[in-house]
Amino acid sequence: MFHKILIGLDGSETSEQALDHAMALAELTGAELHALSVEERLPVYAATVGEVMEEERYEHHYFDGVQARARTRAGERRLELRVEVVAGHAAHALVEKARTGGFDLIVIGHTGHSRLHHIFLGSTADRVVESAPCSVLVVHERRKVG
Amino acid sequence: MEQNVWLIASAWMALALVASLISIRLGISVALIEILVGVVAGNFLSLHTTEWIDFLATFGAGLLTFLAGAEIDPDSLRRHLKPALAIGMAGFFAPFIGVFAVTYGLAHWELHAAWIAGISLSTTSVAVVYAVMVETGLNRTEIGKLILAACFINDLGTVLALGILFANWNVWLAVFVAVTAVVLWYLPRMTRLVIRRVGHRVSEPEVKFLFLVLFGLGGLARLAKSEAVLPAYLVGLVVAGVFMRDRVLMDRMRSIAFTLLTPFYFLKAGLYVSLPAVMTSAGLIALFLLTKMGTKVVGIWPLTRWFRFERREGTYTTLLMATGLTFGTISALFGLTNQIIDQTQYTMLVTAVIGSAVIPTLIAQRFFQPVVVPDGPAQSEALAHAERLATPPMRGVAK
Repeated sequence: MFHKILIGLDGSETSEQALDHAMALAELTGAELHALSVEERLPVYAATVGEVMEEERYEHHYFDGVQARARTRAGERRLELRVEVVAGHAAHALVEKARTGGFDLIVIGHTGHSRLHHIFLGSTADRVVESAPCSVLVVHERRKVG
Repeated sequence: MEQNVWLIASAWMALALVASLISIRLGISVALIEILVGVVAGNFLSLHTTEWIDFLATFGAGLLTFLAGAEIDPDSLRRHLKPALAIGMAGFFAPFIGVFAVTYGLAHWELHAAWIAGISLSTTSVAVVYAVMVETGLNRTEIGKLILAACFINDLGTVLALGILFANWNVWLAVFVAVTAVVLWYLPRMTRLVIRRVGHRVSEPEVKFLFLVLFGLGGLARLAKSEAVLPAYLVGLVVAGVFMRDRVLMDRMRSIAFTLLTPFYFLKAGLYVSLPAVMTSAGLIALFLLTKMGTKVVGIWPLTRWFRFERREGTYTTLLMATGLTFGTISALFGLTNQIIDQTQYTMLVTAVIGSAVIPTLIAQRFFQPVVVPDGPAQSEALAHAERLATPPMRGVAK
Protein backbone atom coordinates (compact mmCIF):
# COMPACT_ATOMS: atom_id res chain seq x y z
CA MET A 1 0.00 0.00 0.00
CA PHE A 2 2.63 2.56 1.09
CA HIS A 3 6.31 2.18 0.25
CA LYS A 4 7.90 5.42 1.52
CA ILE A 5 6.46 7.48 4.36
CA LEU A 6 7.67 10.99 5.20
CA ILE A 7 7.03 12.39 8.69
CA GLY A 8 7.14 16.10 9.48
CA LEU A 9 8.89 16.22 12.83
CA ASP A 10 9.04 19.52 14.73
CA GLY A 11 9.04 18.34 18.34
CA SER A 12 5.42 19.39 18.96
CA GLU A 13 2.90 17.09 20.64
CA THR A 14 1.02 16.43 17.41
CA SER A 15 4.18 15.71 15.43
CA GLU A 16 5.05 13.07 18.05
CA GLN A 17 1.59 11.59 17.49
CA ALA A 18 2.19 11.75 13.74
CA LEU A 19 5.32 9.68 14.34
CA ASP A 20 3.21 7.09 16.24
CA HIS A 21 0.75 6.83 13.35
CA ALA A 22 3.54 6.59 10.78
CA MET A 23 5.29 3.84 12.74
CA ALA A 24 2.02 1.91 13.03
CA LEU A 25 1.51 2.20 9.26
CA ALA A 26 5.11 1.15 8.58
CA GLU A 27 4.62 -1.94 10.73
CA LEU A 28 1.52 -2.82 8.73
CA THR A 29 2.91 -2.12 5.26
CA GLY A 30 6.67 -2.52 5.61
CA ALA A 31 7.18 1.00 4.25
CA GLU A 32 10.45 2.96 4.60
CA LEU A 33 10.26 5.67 7.28
CA HIS A 34 11.86 9.07 6.84
CA ALA A 35 11.56 12.11 9.12
CA LEU A 36 12.17 15.69 8.04
CA SER A 37 12.67 18.56 10.50
CA VAL A 38 12.66 22.11 9.18
CA GLU A 39 14.48 25.00 10.83
CA GLU A 40 12.08 27.88 10.31
CA ARG A 41 12.84 30.01 13.34
CA LEU A 42 15.91 31.65 11.80
CA PRO A 43 15.51 35.38 12.33
CA VAL A 44 14.06 37.18 9.35
CA TYR A 45 15.48 40.67 8.60
CA ALA A 46 18.49 40.09 10.88
CA ALA A 47 21.04 42.77 11.79
CA THR A 48 24.14 40.57 11.72
CA VAL A 49 25.12 37.31 10.04
CA GLY A 50 26.26 36.04 13.45
CA GLU A 51 22.72 36.43 14.78
CA VAL A 52 21.47 34.03 12.09
CA MET A 53 24.36 31.60 12.67
CA GLU A 54 23.74 31.51 16.40
CA GLU A 55 20.04 30.75 15.88
CA GLU A 56 21.04 28.10 13.35
CA ARG A 57 23.23 26.41 15.97
CA TYR A 58 20.39 26.59 18.50
CA GLU A 59 17.94 25.05 16.02
CA HIS A 60 20.39 22.27 15.10
CA HIS A 61 20.82 21.42 18.78
CA TYR A 62 17.04 21.38 19.30
CA PHE A 63 16.30 19.16 16.29
CA ASP A 64 19.22 16.84 17.07
CA GLY A 65 17.42 16.10 20.34
CA VAL A 66 14.01 15.72 18.68
CA GLN A 67 15.36 13.36 16.05
CA ALA A 68 17.45 11.32 18.48
CA ARG A 69 14.32 10.68 20.56
CA ALA A 70 12.35 9.75 17.43
CA ARG A 71 15.03 7.27 16.31
CA THR A 72 15.09 5.72 19.75
CA ARG A 73 11.32 5.26 19.68
CA ALA A 74 11.48 3.74 16.20
CA GLY A 75 14.33 1.49 17.30
CA GLU A 76 12.22 0.22 20.20
CA ARG A 77 9.71 -0.99 17.59
CA ARG A 78 12.50 -2.45 15.41
CA LEU A 79 11.92 0.16 12.71
CA GLU A 80 14.60 2.11 10.89
CA LEU A 81 13.97 5.87 10.81
CA ARG A 82 16.09 8.04 8.49
CA VAL A 83 16.25 11.64 9.63
CA GLU A 84 17.19 14.94 8.02
CA VAL A 85 17.20 18.62 9.03
CA VAL A 86 16.88 21.44 6.51
CA ALA A 87 16.31 25.20 6.81
CA GLY A 88 13.33 26.87 5.18
CA HIS A 89 9.55 26.88 5.33
CA ALA A 90 8.12 23.65 6.68
CA ALA A 91 5.37 23.17 4.09
CA HIS A 92 7.62 23.97 1.14
CA ALA A 93 10.42 21.73 2.42
CA LEU A 94 8.08 18.77 3.08
CA VAL A 95 6.44 19.02 -0.33
CA GLU A 96 9.79 19.30 -2.11
CA LYS A 97 11.20 16.36 -0.17
CA ALA A 98 8.14 14.26 -1.01
CA ARG A 99 8.38 15.25 -4.66
CA THR A 100 12.11 14.58 -5.09
CA GLY A 101 12.22 11.51 -2.85
CA GLY A 102 9.33 9.64 -4.45
CA PHE A 103 7.30 9.41 -1.22
CA ASP A 104 3.75 8.11 -1.37
CA LEU A 105 2.57 9.36 2.04
CA ILE A 106 3.29 12.40 4.21
CA VAL A 107 2.28 12.20 7.86
CA ILE A 108 2.15 15.48 9.79
CA GLY A 109 0.69 16.93 12.96
CA HIS A 110 -2.06 19.50 12.58
CA THR A 111 -0.29 22.23 14.54
CA GLY A 112 3.28 23.11 13.77
CA HIS A 113 5.22 26.20 14.75
CA SER A 114 5.09 28.36 11.64
CA ARG A 115 3.96 31.51 13.51
CA LEU A 116 3.87 34.44 11.07
CA HIS A 117 3.64 32.04 8.18
CA HIS A 118 0.70 30.43 9.93
CA ILE A 119 -1.03 33.77 10.55
CA PHE A 120 -0.72 35.02 6.99
CA LEU A 121 -0.64 31.87 4.89
CA GLY A 122 -2.48 29.22 6.89
CA SER A 123 -1.11 26.26 8.80
CA THR A 124 1.71 24.06 7.58
CA ALA A 125 -0.80 21.19 7.30
CA ASP A 126 -3.13 23.26 5.09
CA ARG A 127 -0.30 24.12 2.73
CA VAL A 128 1.07 20.58 2.57
CA VAL A 129 -2.37 19.13 1.82
CA GLU A 130 -2.83 21.72 -0.92
CA SER A 131 0.51 21.16 -2.66
CA ALA A 132 1.66 17.62 -1.87
CA PRO A 133 2.36 15.25 -4.77
CA CYS A 134 1.08 12.29 -2.71
CA SER A 135 -1.43 11.38 -0.01
CA VAL A 136 -1.25 13.29 3.26
CA LEU A 137 -2.29 12.08 6.70
CA VAL A 138 -2.93 14.99 9.07
CA VAL A 139 -2.92 13.91 12.70
CA HIS A 140 -5.09 15.91 15.09
CA GLU A 141 -4.27 16.09 18.78
CA ARG A 142 -5.61 13.10 20.67
CA ARG A 143 -4.46 10.17 22.81
CA LYS A 144 -1.43 8.26 21.52
CA VAL A 145 -1.90 5.12 19.44
CA GLY A 146 0.11 1.95 19.28
CA MET B 1 15.03 67.47 39.29
CA GLU B 2 18.05 65.18 39.07
CA GLN B 3 17.66 62.36 36.56
CA ASN B 4 17.28 58.91 38.08
CA VAL B 5 19.71 56.95 35.95
CA TRP B 6 18.51 53.58 37.25
CA LEU B 7 14.86 54.25 36.43
CA ILE B 8 15.74 55.52 32.96
CA ALA B 9 17.92 52.46 32.38
CA SER B 10 15.15 50.16 33.61
CA ALA B 11 12.63 51.75 31.23
CA TRP B 12 14.96 51.23 28.25
CA MET B 13 15.85 47.70 29.31
CA ALA B 14 12.15 46.87 29.75
CA LEU B 15 11.56 47.94 26.14
CA ALA B 16 14.57 45.90 25.00
CA LEU B 17 13.22 42.86 26.87
CA VAL B 18 9.76 43.29 25.34
CA ALA B 19 11.40 43.50 21.90
CA SER B 20 13.37 40.30 22.54
CA LEU B 21 10.23 38.42 23.61
CA ILE B 22 8.26 39.61 20.57
CA SER B 23 11.20 38.75 18.34
CA ILE B 24 11.42 35.19 19.68
CA ARG B 25 7.65 34.76 19.40
CA LEU B 26 7.44 36.01 15.80
CA GLY B 27 10.78 34.70 14.54
CA ILE B 28 11.74 38.17 13.31
CA SER B 29 15.13 39.74 14.02
CA VAL B 30 15.33 41.58 17.32
CA ALA B 31 16.88 44.59 15.56
CA LEU B 32 13.77 45.26 13.50
CA ILE B 33 11.47 44.74 16.49
CA GLU B 34 13.59 47.09 18.63
CA ILE B 35 13.23 49.79 15.97
CA LEU B 36 9.45 49.28 15.91
CA VAL B 37 9.23 49.27 19.73
CA GLY B 38 11.30 52.48 19.64
CA VAL B 39 8.77 53.99 17.22
CA VAL B 40 5.94 53.19 19.64
CA ALA B 41 7.90 54.48 22.65
CA GLY B 42 8.82 57.71 20.88
CA ASN B 43 5.33 58.44 19.58
CA PHE B 44 3.17 57.26 22.49
CA LEU B 45 5.39 57.12 25.62
CA SER B 46 7.41 60.32 25.05
CA LEU B 47 10.66 58.42 25.66
CA HIS B 48 13.80 60.56 25.34
CA THR B 49 17.51 59.86 25.15
CA THR B 50 20.14 61.11 27.57
CA GLU B 51 23.84 61.75 27.06
CA TRP B 52 24.83 58.31 28.36
CA ILE B 53 22.15 56.56 26.30
CA ASP B 54 23.46 58.40 23.24
CA PHE B 55 26.94 57.07 24.00
CA LEU B 56 25.72 53.48 24.45
CA ALA B 57 23.73 53.78 21.20
CA THR B 58 26.72 55.18 19.30
CA PHE B 59 28.98 52.47 20.65
CA GLY B 60 26.31 49.91 19.75
CA ALA B 61 26.24 51.14 16.15
CA GLY B 62 30.04 51.05 16.02
CA LEU B 63 30.25 47.55 17.44
CA LEU B 64 27.51 46.35 15.10
CA THR B 65 29.48 47.76 12.16
CA PHE B 66 32.65 46.10 13.46
CA LEU B 67 30.86 42.74 13.74
CA ALA B 68 29.43 43.16 10.23
CA GLY B 69 32.96 43.69 8.88
CA ALA B 70 34.35 40.79 10.90
CA GLU B 71 31.77 38.39 9.50
CA ILE B 72 33.27 38.32 6.04
CA ASP B 73 35.03 35.17 4.88
CA PRO B 74 38.37 36.58 3.66
CA ASP B 75 39.16 33.51 1.54
CA SER B 76 35.81 33.72 -0.19
CA LEU B 77 36.33 37.45 -0.85
CA ARG B 78 39.78 36.79 -2.32
CA ARG B 79 38.46 33.96 -4.51
CA HIS B 80 35.65 36.05 -6.00
CA LEU B 81 37.22 39.49 -5.72
CA LYS B 82 36.63 40.74 -9.25
CA PRO B 83 32.98 39.76 -9.80
CA ALA B 84 32.21 40.69 -6.19
CA LEU B 85 33.77 44.13 -6.75
CA ALA B 86 31.79 44.65 -9.96
CA ILE B 87 28.43 43.62 -8.48
CA GLY B 88 29.11 45.27 -5.10
CA MET B 89 30.12 48.60 -6.61
CA ALA B 90 27.15 48.60 -8.99
CA GLY B 91 24.99 47.76 -5.98
CA PHE B 92 26.28 50.85 -4.18
CA PHE B 93 26.59 53.44 -6.94
CA ALA B 94 23.29 52.82 -8.78
CA PRO B 95 20.97 53.46 -5.80
CA PHE B 96 23.26 56.15 -4.38
CA ILE B 97 23.04 58.16 -7.60
CA GLY B 98 19.37 57.32 -8.18
CA VAL B 99 18.14 58.22 -4.70
CA PHE B 100 20.37 61.30 -4.63
CA ALA B 101 18.83 62.45 -7.92
CA VAL B 102 15.27 61.88 -6.69
CA THR B 103 15.74 63.59 -3.30
CA TYR B 104 17.82 66.49 -4.68
CA GLY B 105 16.05 67.01 -8.00
CA LEU B 106 12.47 65.99 -7.28
CA ALA B 107 12.02 66.41 -3.53
CA HIS B 108 14.31 69.50 -3.41
CA TRP B 109 16.33 68.37 -0.42
CA GLU B 110 19.56 70.20 0.47
CA LEU B 111 22.70 68.78 -1.16
CA HIS B 112 24.06 67.14 2.01
CA ALA B 113 20.63 65.84 2.98
CA ALA B 114 20.33 64.24 -0.48
CA TRP B 115 23.76 62.64 0.04
CA ILE B 116 22.52 61.14 3.30
CA ALA B 117 19.43 59.83 1.48
CA GLY B 118 21.60 58.29 -1.25
CA ILE B 119 23.90 56.65 1.30
CA SER B 120 21.05 55.37 3.51
CA LEU B 121 19.33 53.67 0.62
CA SER B 122 22.47 52.39 -1.13
CA THR B 123 23.04 49.64 1.42
CA THR B 124 22.58 45.91 1.24
CA SER B 125 21.78 43.92 4.35
CA VAL B 126 24.32 41.10 4.38
CA ALA B 127 22.46 39.50 7.29
CA VAL B 128 19.10 39.53 5.49
CA VAL B 129 20.76 38.07 2.39
CA TYR B 130 22.52 35.41 4.46
CA ALA B 131 19.34 34.42 6.34
CA VAL B 132 17.42 34.00 3.10
CA MET B 133 20.28 32.05 1.54
CA VAL B 134 20.36 29.62 4.47
CA GLU B 135 16.77 28.74 3.69
CA THR B 136 17.59 27.89 0.08
CA GLY B 137 20.97 26.30 0.79
CA LEU B 138 22.56 28.93 -1.49
CA ASN B 139 24.93 29.99 1.32
CA ARG B 140 26.82 26.69 0.92
CA THR B 141 27.47 27.23 -2.80
CA GLU B 142 30.24 29.25 -4.42
CA ILE B 143 27.68 31.48 -6.17
CA GLY B 144 26.16 32.20 -2.77
CA LYS B 145 29.57 33.09 -1.36
CA LEU B 146 30.18 35.40 -4.34
CA ILE B 147 26.87 37.16 -3.63
CA LEU B 148 27.76 37.59 0.05
CA ALA B 149 31.19 38.98 -0.89
CA ALA B 150 29.45 41.44 -3.25
CA CYS B 151 27.18 42.52 -0.38
CA PHE B 152 30.23 43.28 1.78
CA ILE B 153 31.73 45.39 -1.02
CA ASN B 154 28.39 47.22 -1.37
CA ASP B 155 28.37 48.05 2.35
CA LEU B 156 32.02 49.07 2.24
CA GLY B 157 30.97 51.65 -0.36
CA THR B 158 28.27 52.90 2.01
CA VAL B 159 30.64 53.17 4.96
CA LEU B 160 33.36 54.85 2.88
CA ALA B 161 30.85 57.39 1.54
CA LEU B 162 29.62 58.16 5.04
CA GLY B 163 33.16 58.50 6.32
CA ILE B 164 34.53 60.57 3.44
CA LEU B 165 31.72 62.79 2.11
CA PHE B 166 31.15 64.60 5.39
CA ALA B 167 34.75 64.73 6.65
CA ASN B 168 36.64 68.00 7.05
CA TRP B 169 39.51 67.94 4.58
CA ASN B 170 42.12 69.23 7.02
CA VAL B 171 45.12 68.03 9.02
CA TRP B 172 42.94 65.92 11.31
CA LEU B 173 41.67 63.91 8.36
CA ALA B 174 45.26 63.29 7.27
CA VAL B 175 46.15 62.18 10.81
CA PHE B 176 43.06 59.95 10.95
CA VAL B 177 43.84 58.33 7.58
CA ALA B 178 47.53 57.79 8.43
CA VAL B 179 46.90 56.34 11.90
CA THR B 180 44.06 54.14 10.60
CA ALA B 181 46.28 52.78 7.81
CA VAL B 182 49.08 51.89 10.25
CA VAL B 183 46.68 50.35 12.78
CA LEU B 184 44.92 48.29 10.10
CA TRP B 185 48.26 47.01 8.82
CA TYR B 186 49.45 45.76 12.19
CA LEU B 187 46.12 44.88 13.78
CA PRO B 188 45.67 41.25 12.62
CA ARG B 189 49.06 40.17 13.99
CA MET B 190 48.62 42.29 17.14
CA THR B 191 45.23 40.71 17.78
CA ARG B 192 46.63 37.22 17.26
CA LEU B 193 49.50 38.08 19.64
CA VAL B 194 47.12 39.32 22.34
CA ILE B 195 44.96 36.21 21.99
CA ARG B 196 47.98 33.90 22.06
CA ARG B 197 49.61 35.55 25.09
CA VAL B 198 46.67 36.51 27.31
CA GLY B 199 43.53 35.44 25.46
CA HIS B 200 40.43 33.69 26.80
CA ARG B 201 40.88 34.75 30.44
CA VAL B 202 38.11 35.97 32.73
CA SER B 203 39.31 39.58 32.38
CA GLU B 204 38.85 39.37 28.54
CA PRO B 205 41.96 41.35 27.52
CA GLU B 206 41.44 40.62 23.80
CA VAL B 207 37.96 42.19 23.88
CA LYS B 208 39.32 45.23 25.74
CA PHE B 209 42.15 45.50 23.22
CA LEU B 210 39.69 45.61 20.31
CA PHE B 211 37.46 48.11 22.16
CA LEU B 212 40.53 50.29 22.73
CA VAL B 213 41.27 50.27 18.99
CA LEU B 214 37.63 51.05 18.14
CA PHE B 215 37.44 53.89 20.67
CA GLY B 216 40.79 55.36 19.59
CA LEU B 217 40.05 55.32 15.86
CA GLY B 218 36.47 56.46 16.50
CA GLY B 219 37.83 59.43 18.45
CA LEU B 220 40.21 60.36 15.63
CA ALA B 221 37.38 59.99 13.10
CA ARG B 222 35.28 62.39 15.17
CA LEU B 223 38.15 64.93 15.26
CA ALA B 224 38.20 64.78 11.45
CA LYS B 225 34.38 65.22 11.43
CA SER B 226 34.20 61.76 9.88
CA GLU B 227 32.07 58.89 11.16
CA ALA B 228 33.26 56.28 13.69
CA VAL B 229 31.56 53.46 11.78
CA LEU B 230 34.14 53.81 8.98
CA PRO B 231 37.14 52.65 11.04
CA ALA B 232 34.91 50.15 12.87
CA TYR B 233 33.99 48.40 9.61
CA LEU B 234 37.58 48.45 8.36
CA VAL B 235 38.86 47.09 11.69
CA GLY B 236 36.27 44.32 11.42
CA LEU B 237 37.37 43.49 7.87
CA VAL B 238 41.06 43.17 8.76
CA VAL B 239 40.47 40.99 11.83
CA ALA B 240 37.86 38.82 10.06
CA GLY B 241 40.49 36.13 9.46
CA VAL B 242 41.28 36.02 13.20
CA PHE B 243 37.58 35.80 14.05
CA MET B 244 37.04 32.96 11.55
CA ARG B 245 39.37 30.84 13.67
CA ASP B 246 38.12 32.12 17.03
CA ARG B 247 34.32 31.85 17.06
CA VAL B 248 34.28 32.12 20.86
CA LEU B 249 35.66 35.67 20.70
CA MET B 250 33.06 36.56 18.06
CA ASP B 251 30.26 35.09 20.19
CA ARG B 252 31.41 37.02 23.27
CA MET B 253 31.54 40.31 21.43
CA ARG B 254 28.12 39.68 19.93
CA SER B 255 26.72 38.88 23.38
CA ILE B 256 28.07 42.17 24.72
CA ALA B 257 26.66 44.05 21.76
CA PHE B 258 23.21 42.44 21.73
CA THR B 259 22.71 42.57 25.50
CA LEU B 260 23.82 46.04 26.42
CA LEU B 261 24.58 48.17 23.39
CA THR B 262 22.56 47.52 20.22
CA PRO B 263 19.17 47.65 22.03
CA PHE B 264 19.94 51.28 22.87
CA TYR B 265 20.95 51.93 19.28
CA PHE B 266 17.92 50.34 17.59
CA LEU B 267 15.43 51.71 20.14
CA LYS B 268 16.92 55.16 19.61
CA ALA B 269 16.76 54.69 15.81
CA GLY B 270 13.01 54.05 16.15
CA LEU B 271 12.48 56.81 18.70
CA TYR B 272 12.88 59.61 16.14
CA VAL B 273 10.48 58.12 13.60
CA SER B 274 7.41 60.34 13.64
CA LEU B 275 4.20 58.47 12.83
CA PRO B 276 2.38 61.62 11.65
CA ALA B 277 5.31 62.23 9.27
CA VAL B 278 4.98 58.66 7.97
CA MET B 279 1.33 59.37 7.15
CA THR B 280 1.94 62.71 5.47
CA SER B 281 5.01 61.50 3.54
CA ALA B 282 3.76 58.07 2.52
CA GLY B 283 4.00 58.89 -1.18
CA LEU B 284 7.62 60.05 -0.98
CA ILE B 285 8.55 57.06 1.19
CA ALA B 286 7.12 54.73 -1.45
CA LEU B 287 8.97 56.68 -4.16
CA PHE B 288 12.30 56.39 -2.27
CA LEU B 289 11.78 52.66 -1.76
CA LEU B 290 10.87 52.10 -5.41
CA THR B 291 13.88 54.16 -6.48
CA LYS B 292 16.17 52.04 -4.34
CA MET B 293 14.75 48.79 -5.69
CA GLY B 294 14.59 50.06 -9.27
CA THR B 295 18.18 51.32 -9.30
CA LYS B 296 19.43 48.11 -7.71
CA VAL B 297 17.75 46.25 -10.57
CA VAL B 298 19.30 48.57 -13.15
CA GLY B 299 22.75 48.29 -11.56
CA ILE B 300 22.92 44.64 -10.57
CA TRP B 301 20.57 42.60 -12.76
CA PRO B 302 22.46 43.14 -16.05
CA LEU B 303 25.69 42.13 -14.29
CA THR B 304 24.12 38.91 -13.06
CA ARG B 305 23.13 38.14 -16.66
CA TRP B 306 26.63 39.12 -17.84
CA PHE B 307 28.05 36.67 -15.31
CA ARG B 308 25.62 34.04 -16.68
CA PHE B 309 23.49 33.63 -13.60
CA GLU B 310 20.23 31.91 -14.52
CA ARG B 311 17.45 34.48 -15.07
CA ARG B 312 15.61 33.44 -11.91
CA GLU B 313 18.82 33.30 -9.87
CA GLY B 314 19.88 36.73 -11.15
CA THR B 315 16.55 38.31 -10.23
CA TYR B 316 16.70 36.63 -6.83
CA THR B 317 20.24 37.95 -6.24
CA THR B 318 19.25 41.45 -7.36
CA LEU B 319 16.25 41.53 -5.01
CA LEU B 320 18.32 40.26 -2.09
CA MET B 321 20.88 42.97 -2.73
CA ALA B 322 18.05 45.54 -2.65
CA THR B 323 17.50 44.79 1.04
CA GLY B 324 18.87 47.02 3.77
CA LEU B 325 18.57 47.63 7.49
CA THR B 326 21.50 48.28 9.81
CA PHE B 327 23.71 50.55 7.71
CA GLY B 328 20.67 52.33 6.34
CA THR B 329 19.51 53.33 9.81
CA ILE B 330 23.09 54.15 10.91
CA SER B 331 23.48 56.53 7.95
CA ALA B 332 20.10 58.19 8.55
CA LEU B 333 20.79 58.59 12.28
CA PHE B 334 24.21 60.09 11.47
CA GLY B 335 22.40 62.67 9.32
CA LEU B 336 19.88 63.47 12.04
CA THR B 337 22.46 63.65 14.84
CA ASN B 338 24.63 66.01 12.82
CA GLN B 339 21.59 68.10 11.79
CA ILE B 340 22.10 67.34 8.11
CA ILE B 341 18.51 66.10 7.85
CA ASP B 342 15.46 66.95 9.97
CA GLN B 343 13.14 64.55 11.77
CA THR B 344 10.67 64.34 8.87
CA GLN B 345 13.44 63.46 6.43
CA TYR B 346 14.83 60.97 8.94
CA THR B 347 11.39 59.40 9.27
CA MET B 348 11.09 59.04 5.51
CA LEU B 349 14.52 57.44 5.17
CA VAL B 350 14.18 55.00 8.08
CA THR B 351 10.70 53.93 6.98
CA ALA B 352 12.00 53.34 3.45
CA VAL B 353 14.96 51.41 4.92
CA ILE B 354 12.62 49.19 6.95
CA GLY B 355 10.51 48.68 3.83
CA SER B 356 13.65 47.66 1.96
CA ALA B 357 14.38 44.99 4.56
CA VAL B 358 10.95 43.44 4.13
CA ILE B 359 9.54 43.98 0.63
CA PRO B 360 12.38 42.78 -1.65
CA THR B 361 12.83 39.72 0.58
CA LEU B 362 9.16 38.81 0.34
CA ILE B 363 9.10 39.26 -3.44
CA ALA B 364 12.32 37.25 -3.84
CA GLN B 365 11.09 34.38 -1.69
CA ARG B 366 7.59 34.34 -3.08
CA PHE B 367 8.31 34.59 -6.79
CA PHE B 368 12.01 33.97 -7.53
CA GLN B 369 13.29 31.40 -5.04
CA PRO B 370 15.76 29.26 -7.00
CA VAL B 371 15.94 25.51 -6.58
CA VAL B 372 19.51 24.98 -5.42
CA VAL B 373 21.68 21.95 -5.87
CA PRO B 374 24.83 22.84 -3.90
CA ASP B 375 27.51 23.48 -6.49
CA GLY B 376 25.81 21.58 -9.27
CA PRO B 377 27.26 21.72 -12.79
CA ALA B 378 25.18 24.74 -13.86
CA GLN B 379 26.36 26.78 -10.88
CA SER B 380 29.99 25.80 -11.30
CA GLU B 381 29.80 26.77 -14.95
CA ALA B 382 28.18 30.12 -14.12
CA LEU B 383 30.81 30.80 -11.48
CA ALA B 384 33.69 29.91 -13.78
CA HIS B 385 32.18 32.17 -16.42
CA ALA B 386 31.80 34.98 -13.86
CA GLU B 387 35.48 34.71 -12.95
CA ARG B 388 36.49 34.76 -16.63
CA LEU B 389 34.35 37.79 -17.37
CA ALA B 390 35.22 39.70 -14.24
CA THR B 391 37.94 41.83 -15.74
CA PRO B 392 36.08 43.48 -18.66
CA PRO B 393 33.04 44.68 -16.64
CA MET B 394 35.36 45.86 -13.86
CA ARG B 395 36.86 48.38 -16.22
CA GLY B 396 33.44 49.80 -16.87
CA VAL B 397 32.10 49.73 -13.36
CA ALA B 398 35.06 50.73 -11.29
CA LYS B 399 35.74 54.04 -12.99
